[in-house]
Amino acid sequence: MPRPDFGGLQARLLRSGLSPRRVRRTITELDEHFDDLVDEAVANGDRVQAAERRALQDLGDVHQIAALIDERPELRSWACHHPRIAILLYPLACLAVLPAVPLIAGVTNATYVGRWMACAVLSGVVTASIMLLLQLSITLT
Amino acid sequence: MAQTNPPFMSGVPELLLLRLLDQHEMYGYELVRSIRKVTGEAISLGEGVIYPALHSLERNGALKSRRKPVGGRTRVYYALTGKGRQRLDRLQNDWRRIQGGITNALELPSHA
Repeated sequence: MPRPDFGGLQARLLRSGLSPRRVRRTITELDEHFDDLVDEAVANGDRVQAAERRALQDLGDVHQIAALIDERPELRSWACHHPRIAILLYPLACLAVLPAVPLIAGVTNATYVGRWMACAVLSGVVTASIMLLLQLSITLT
Repeated sequence: MAQTNPPFMSGVPELLLLRLLDQHEMYGYELVRSIRKVTGEAISLGEGVIYPALHSLERNGALKSRRKPVGGRTRVYYALTGKGRQRLDRLQNDWRRIQGGITNALELPSHA
């Protein structure tokens, strides 16, 4: 099935110094555009494979797109423009964020943490009930 | 002093994008279709090349974007900003000046 080489484009754009976020957005937009072209060609009566070949041609060469992005330095990431400052600041930023990592992990995995807490509370209640029953049986006999 | 001409052919996609987005917000695929329609298919681009131009305009503050889910796809809609409108005015003036200059040149009498 002919599709543009988005994997190759992604690697090239990251090497060119674009931020991962911009690369993701560029690939997503190109991918959606390709699907729109295929849908249009299919709607016009083309078979899927022919539609994809045509869409590939209409979208243009991904290397040409990458070359155009290379010509626009404003699209590169802040770290690419100021590598020395980035090298200095990134470790400091990591150290600053480190204490918050457990909290971030907890918020990110709130569902799992919630389930775990519910299980812990439930097992606590069951254990306490058994112990209460045992205590009652000892007291009453 | 005569103004230096901008590299006007490379500025054509930018001019068209700004002009079309001056009407209403659009996403990439819609913009390419509109360019084809309004230019009578005189200008045909490798369609993917529109995105570096859009991103660059957005980075320079001429456009703003927002994501909008439509029919199971996430469209990135672009709209003109105040800065973009100023840039469009400037580009339109430049283009008209160049167009006038070329028209004058083409109207020179040719040798029989």
